Amino acid sequence: MIELNAATKRYGSLTAVDNVSFSIKTGEYFALLGPNGAGKTTIVKMLLDFTQPTSGSLSIKGLPSTNAASRTSIGYLAENNHIPPYLSGWQYLQRCAELLDISRSDAMDQCRRIVEQIGMQGREDTKVNTYSKGMIQRFGLGAALIGNPKLLILDEPTAGLDPIGIREIRQLLESLKHQGMTIFLNSHLLSEVEKICDNAAIINRGKLLVKDTISALVKDGDTLEDVFVRFVKG
Amino acid sequence: MKMPKALPPIIRIAKYTLTDEVWQKSFVVMFVICAIFIFLIRGCYQGNYMVNGQVLDAGTIIRAVSKVTFHVIAAGVMLVTALLSMRVFRRDRDDGMQSCILSKPIARWQYVAGKILGLWALSIIFMFILHSIVFITTSINLKVIMPEYLIASLLCSFNLLFVVVAVLLLSLLMPDIVAFLCVIGIGIIGFVADGIFAISHSQMAQTMIQQPGSLPDLTGWNIVYYLWPKLSGTQQFASSLIGSEGFQGFVSIYPLINVLIYVLILGALLFWRFRNEDII
Repeated sequence: MIELNAATKRYGSLTAVDNVSFSIKTGEYFALLGPNGAGKTTIVKMLLDFTQPTSGSLSIKGLPSTNAASRTSIGYLAENNHIPPYLSGWQYLQRCAELLDISRSDAMDQCRRIVEQIGMQGREDTKVNTYSKGMIQRFGLGAALIGNPKLLILDEPTAGLDPIGIREIRQLLESLKHQGMTIFLNSHLLSEVEKICDNAAIINRGKLLVKDTISALVKDGDTLEDVFVRFVKG
Repeated sequence: MKMPKALPPIIRIAKYTLTDEVWQKSFVVMFVICAIFIFLIRGCYQGNYMVNGQVLDAGTIIRAVSKVTFHVIAAGVMLVTALLSMRVFRRDRDDGMQSCILSKPIARWQYVAGKILGLWALSIIFMFILHSIVFITTSINLKVIMPEYLIASLLCSFNLLFVVVAVLLLSLLMPDIVAFLCVIGIGIIGFVADGIFAISHSQMAQTMIQQPGSLPDLTGWNIVYYLWPKLSGTQQFASSLIGSEGFQGFVSIYPLINVLIYVLILGALLFWRFRNEDII
């Protein structure tokens, strides 16, 4: 589904991503872990062609990430997601559906279902400027789910959510697992990652330190947090 | 007939650009002020005007005033278009719409084309409505129908396309306000060059040229006159339709061709520059 081949990104003298290679199979729940500034978001941006790699290549479903067609059936939630404040949550979802060329009646059905899934019934018609950060994040996740994507790329999906919201998002992601969706998750919440992901990679200062299954990484008596700290601190 | 696949996203992005602008309070305020200003100009049609001791007839007054109004509206809307265009990319970035759109199977050129189309359509509608107010005023109140007025308005829309493309390109390279000022500067220099060219070709100037040293060297301004974006020339060409002035062949349409060539060059640069832009 996703393939990174010696992907490198430099900003002047700073190497944000350094020769990173890994692949993610269809149906895999994958977490990319790393401290702030490790290069996680840069990898996501290169995958979505938001920024071009200095060297190396990235592909989605066999298509180079520079090809717009590679983003077919992809849902994306940005870190610190924003929504135009003059729209309502419902209008935003409708707009996302329209951009995916979904018919009006299908869009209505999908948006209704998604509003329910993200737990925002009754608030969908109010303007976004009245929403909390957590509510914006939920609508962002809702927008990513429009069009029943095969691949979800989530950059800190639980940022700004309260513990109940985090739990609901986790339950939602778990339910998507049964639909055969592939998930690429960037997160700091290691306990959540441990609960829902099959595989994880840890990067630090742009370099890939390890990529393995969660069960192989977390040995008896350890937590993912212990493993993460051990790798990052060397 | 089936629409090419690339078109629907462009049209949708254009639609969002247009509606997003219209929802801005600043846009509504600008539009209302402009419309009130045009309504107030009505009084100018009813005055008594004398030239060389002769009272002008109503038809001449109406055509002359309408022509002045035409130029004021065309130049004013160019200013408004520059104001609207300068913050479009920034607002889309801040509101998360840029990353939302480009994370879908939509190419960057489609996004940029949608933005250009939306802004251009909005500015054309803005200018056309203001010109239509003048047209309706002269048609209903003064019983002078000038269909060429609206055709001239549409011709001026190429100037608006130039402004949209130039401001969008420059806003990727420099702060928004500087991009706005640069394009306004381009317009002002063009107007000045046209003015100097017109004066230097007047009868009085020709007489002065006969006396060596009486007129400064205007070669530089002549080069600017021909090569600079001819926004005022296009406006002049469009307004020549209102006055039913004679068509002078290539000389008449050169300003329009000049502006279109600039639009193509700046458009190509804009698409190329945005292709290398990092999406935040």
